Amino acid sequence: MNNSLTHVMLCSVCTAPVCTNAQVGCHAVSLNNLFDRIIQHSAKMHRVSNDLHQQFELHVLPSRNQVGRGGHICHTSTIMTPNGKENAQRMAREGLTQVILQLLMAWTDPLMNLHHSSTNVSVDMSSMVGELRRGVQRLAEKMHTLGLLTDPDSSVVSPEALMTSHPVPWRLMNLYDILYCFRRDSNKVHNYLRILKCRIVPEHGC
Amino acid sequence: MDRIIATAEALWRMMRRIAEILLLLHWFNLLSVEGTRYSLPGKPTLTRCRSPEKETFTCWWEPSFDGGLSTTYALYYCKENSDTVHECPDYHTAGVNSCFFNKNNTSIWVNYNITVVATNALGSTFSDPVEIDVVYIVMPHPPENVGVTVLEDKGWPFLRLSWEPPHKVDTRSGWITLIYELRVKLEEETEWEMHLAGQQKMFNIFSLRSGGTYLVQVRCKPDHGFWSEWSSTTSIKVPDYFQRERSVWVMIMVSSAFIFLIITWLIHINSHSLKHYILPPVPGPKIKGFDKQFMKDGKSEGFFCDLVSIHFPATTTPNDEDLLVEYLEVCVPEEQELKMEDKGEDGCPKSESSTSDCDSGRGSCDSQTLLIDKCFKRVAPGLDIECSQTGTGANEIQDSPDVSSGRVKTWPSVYSPLSQHPVDLMHSLDKSKQHCLSDTLFPSDSSCPYHSHPDHSTNDNPDSTYWKFCFNNKQRLLLRPQMETQWQPHAYSEVNISATVRSSDYVEAHNISDENTVVLHSVSSSHDDREGTGYKYQGEDYSHVQRVGSDNVLMLQRGLMKEPVDTGFCKNQQANRAAGTSDTSPITRNQKPTVCNETTLSVNGPAANGYVDTATMFIKPTQD
Repeated sequence: MNNSLTHVMLCSVCTAPVCTNAQVGCHAVSLNNLFDRIIQHSAKMHRVSNDLHQQFELHVLPSRNQVGRGGHICHTSTIMTPNGKENAQRMAREGLTQVILQLLMAWTDPLMNLHHSSTNVSVDMSSMVGELRRGVQRLAEKMHTLGLLTDPDSSVVSPEALMTSHPVPWRLMNLYDILYCFRRDSNKVHNYLRILKCRIVPEHGC
Repeated sequence: MDRIIATAEALWRMMRRIAEILLLLHWFNLLSVEGTRYSLPGKPTLTRCRSPEKETFTCWWEPSFDGGLSTTYALYYCKENSDTVHECPDYHTAGVNSCFFNKNNTSIWVNYNITVVATNALGSTFSDPVEIDVVYIVMPHPPENVGVTVLEDKGWPFLRLSWEPPHKVDTRSGWITLIYELRVKLEEETEWEMHLAGQQKMFNIFSLRSGGTYLVQVRCKPDHGFWSEWSSTTSIKVPDYFQRERSVWVMIMVSSAFIFLIITWLIHINSHSLKHYILPPVPGPKIKGFDKQFMKDGKSEGFFCDLVSIHFPATTTPNDEDLLVEYLEVCVPEEQELKMEDKGEDGCPKSESSTSDCDSGRGSCDSQTLLIDKCFKRVAPGLDIECSQTGTGANEIQDSPDVSSGRVKTWPSVYSPLSQHPVDLMHSLDKSKQHCLSDTLFPSDSSCPYHSHPDHSTNDNPDSTYWKFCFNNKQRLLLRPQMETQWQPHAYSEVNISATVRSSDYVEAHNISDENTVVLHSVSSSHDDREGTGYKYQGEDYSHVQRVGSDNVLMLQRGLMKEPVDTGFCKNQQANRAAGTSDTSPITRNQKPTVCNETTLSVNGPAANGYVDTATMFIKPTQD
């Protein structure tokens, strides 16, 4: 059960075979190195989203309209994400990994649509999200190979199932909401990845 | 009785009313008379909200005017997407006009809508709402335990700084990632030197000033947040390593001074040769009998004479090289004493003042090309040396064949355009000097004891030995004794030339012995022992000067002259002319002595004297 679930989770978008150390011609990346790369990538993604949001607030919303602020409803609000340090630390590695993947998967389509439809946004953040998602998947596979992901009791819900239960379809979100929500979610992903790293490979920079 | 009580109650009520009215009036009076107004409190403003560790946060507000009445403030907030209004849980922990949200009340990645309300007796005033997300308001405390030590790296000190994150910030679990920045300055400086340390907790600072006191401060910042305050200043004193520096400098200075002294001494020792190397001395005219002073008194002509490429013996101590110069022998009449100047004289002899009827070539010493002519014009008072040129010289020779004055007419036979060829006044006479034949005019005066005879066979005047000298482009002199005589140093006190040469043989001054003895070697055409030196003696290149044309043309004759011809130059050119037999090749003055330019010159040894090298055509400008 556990294996099938993790298999579904991990290999739903498997594109590359798992590379063990014994394989010839396959450059094995250490877990620490993989974490560093992923965290760097997520930091960059958050930086971009932050800049986009700031630019939007500066130029598109010249008047700090109170109506415009607040009341952001993000389509990812249904994803149960820990909202504090204790909650995040209490969550298991598998749960965290899953949350990360859920978040990343939830943003692929809206960002792609944003890039194609909106002239204000020229950066294709969906590709960034897709890359990060693939990296996290590879990370999860590696952790699974190393036996780090063992908790069978975590409520693993397939990402595909999650995506259909958004309370707010993302198509109804306006540009400002999308930028606001993505900025926050990228921060969440970045933070969760850091927590995961310091929990699994704490020797460097934690 | 009842009526009295009722009346009293009515009076009491009325009084109360009056009192209230009075109070109100008084109150209104206060307001209107004194100008104070009680109003609603002013609008407070939320100044800032900060979270030190992303787990709690505090908001501060700024009260406005209170409206004259006591005002109370309250903070209300509501979370994102919830209508529940909460009030601040803690007004005191963070100080006055603050609200502290503890961990239970803090949610990250949640929008807080916060409002402050000021309330007084008259009413309440709401502040503008502020929306915050705790993630973006993190401002940590300064780093702690900032330590500085002085370490050494190959003898040079450096500072090692270390610090720790603020104890409230949880970096170990990865909840917050901090980056650090530090600044350093010397105690007496005013500007700080900033360094970004990234996520590391240690830093090295190099290039310190010895003996200085450094002040260090560190601060930190989360990924997206605010910089903390600077930590408290840590000072450290770098010990003196100036001693080592100074000793190195002292050594450097001492060795430099030592080297400088040595160089100075070397230069002083070799100052003479250095002077020669850098500023080669202008060789003076190495003509016996030239008066240096005479030349110095000369005018511009003398200046040109200085440029003449005559090998004059150097004024300095004659070394062998200097003396390997062909000396121009001048033949002076008896009454005139040959004044043999020292070999080191420079310059040209002064222009003679005496008459020179023998050969008026003297007057032709104006040509710039024939600088030697001018040189020879200038003769020491006791020495008459006549410069002559082809043109006028020839003319004059023709016209005034007599040289009763006993002047020795010498003329260089080869003149490269001296203006074009700077005179090479180097004085080394090597074997490969060019050998140019020149016409040497000698006084044909019989009175001239040094009458030179073109006839090499004649030896009527044993005392007369003349040297032919010629100039080539290299401006070397080659003296050729024309007479087979013993060189008798008549007034040639300085040079003892003892050589027995056949007449019309070329001799070459090989070296000079210690007591100024010129050792000559005869150069015979039969054996050419100078091939190695480029000296080739071929007879074809020499020809006789038959006559001098009217327009400065030297008429040469071709062919070998077997028979000696009396070419007493002093006598006249007629001798020359007489010597000529067959061909005469007019040589204009424009011809350049090209042959002499080459290193290989042929010499017609046994040919009659008085022949001039075909190549040795000198050009006489027509500026007479």
